[in-house]
Amino acid sequence: MQPILSVHNLNKYYGNQVGCKNMNLTLYPGEVVGVVGESGSGKTTFINSISGNLIPDSGKILIETGNETIDFLEISESLKRLLIRTELAFVHQNPRDGLRLDVSAGGNISERLMSIGQRNYGNIRQTIFKWLDKVEIDKSRVDDFPRTFSGGMLQRLQIAKNLVTSPKIIFMDEPTGGLDVSVQAKILDLLRKLVRELNLSVVIVSHDLAVIRLLADKIIVMENGEAVESGLCDQVLDDPQHSYTQLLVSSVLQV
Amino acid sequence: MIELNKITKKFTLHNQGKTNILVFNNLNLKINPGEIVALTGPSGVGKSSILKMIYGNYVFQSGQIKINNHNIDHTYPRNIIELRKNIIGYVSQFLRVIPRVPTIEIVMEPLLEINSDQDEVREKAEKILLKLNIDKNLWNLSPLTFSGGEQQRVNVARGLIRNYPCLLLDEPTASLDSVNKDIVLNLINEKKDSGSSIIGIFHDEYSRKYLNAREIDITKISDAK
Repeated sequence: MQPILSVHNLNKYYGNQVGCKNMNLTLYPGEVVGVVGESGSGKTTFINSISGNLIPDSGKILIETGNETIDFLEISESLKRLLIRTELAFVHQNPRDGLRLDVSAGGNISERLMSIGQRNYGNIRQTIFKWLDKVEIDKSRVDDFPRTFSGGMLQRLQIAKNLVTSPKIIFMDEPTGGLDVSVQAKILDLLRKLVRELNLSVVIVSHDLAVIRLLADKIIVMENGEAVESGLCDQVLDDPQHSYTQLLVSSVLQV
Repeated sequence: MIELNKITKKFTLHNQGKTNILVFNNLNLKINPGEIVALTGPSGVGKSSILKMIYGNYVFQSGQIKINNHNIDHTYPRNIIELRKNIIGYVSQFLRVIPRVPTIEIVMEPLLEINSDQDEVREKAEKILLKLNIDKNLWNLSPLTFSGGEQQRVNVARGLIRNYPCLLLDEPTASLDSVNKDIVLNLINEKKDSGSSIIGIFHDEYSRKYLNAREIDITKISDAK
């Protein structure tokens, strides 16, 4: 099996300041990779640099589409935009960053569909209803504006909006951050189901080790912009080898 | 078949004065298909560590672990993920699940990885839950609010719904009453008879005898003090 995404020696600096350096990642189809570390460790810089939100200073990002291998940092801007609308998706921590608040819920979901050329109103409407159902938002809310939605509903709407074009690779930056724990559980359950059902490949950033343990197959631990340890998720959490990972794991409060 | 050859395992606690704890030096173990091995010895001696090394949760410093001739190699996490999907099953002592997910779905999950027929998988999950005396009314509830014994049986149902060639059991009967204990032990015996290589920790002699297990006293091979 070929990795669907591979990142080699990626570096991103802000002036002299390290954003992230020497980062590597291999993501196979159906796999979830978690990126953990404390605030300021470079997690978000890394996920932004590999998803097209930021331009890294050096490194290589290869995306396997099934027909060809795409060198993500070398392709034209228009092809990159197309990829971001079709093969890739990005779920923000704050759903307000990923949604249009002055467009109805249905309108948000249909945006990516229309951007890839779907025009048939009936078909689009049907797809919208299918996705509202998948993320457990009542159909009757289709024409409501997102600003009338609760935080958890907004996050589920953002997930639907992103997944509607069946992207192969999903990037998520703290998708359950800022949600209360009962809503968080529901989103985690939804994400796990979608990963299995649609064979999604996911890179997920979180400072919450419990979230990563429940979702991720593999893990990258970052400190000061660098990966200090990586590997099988439960191995790194159960038997951490690096002193920083040991500190991180032993700092988690037990409930 | 599970094989451990010349395993060295130690823990280095970087934040506690770089303390080194040696658990095993030259550990050798072999579990044949259709055989049950029971690890014995007081707690802290390394019984769970052995299971965790086989499952890939713990790294080891030297030696070799082979599962049906596949190496457990932490430089290729993908391979361990595949082994877990196809070959190694693990029933842990404690249930770790996403809150609010219904019991029936938790039990279905391992089977859904290899079979996408929802109805067929649901039927199998219902069957094993019935067998384990989990009341029908509980199936659509999250097991997190269940009693200790019920949680353990849900965990067993999830671990035993598949037929893994290799099975690791960490005190699967610890908090069960005698009736349910026998049910779980019978299920384990069925797996043995179908040719699984099984290694486990069973805290009571009754279980070990019932399973006709080959007992290995870890104190004799462990370096943990």
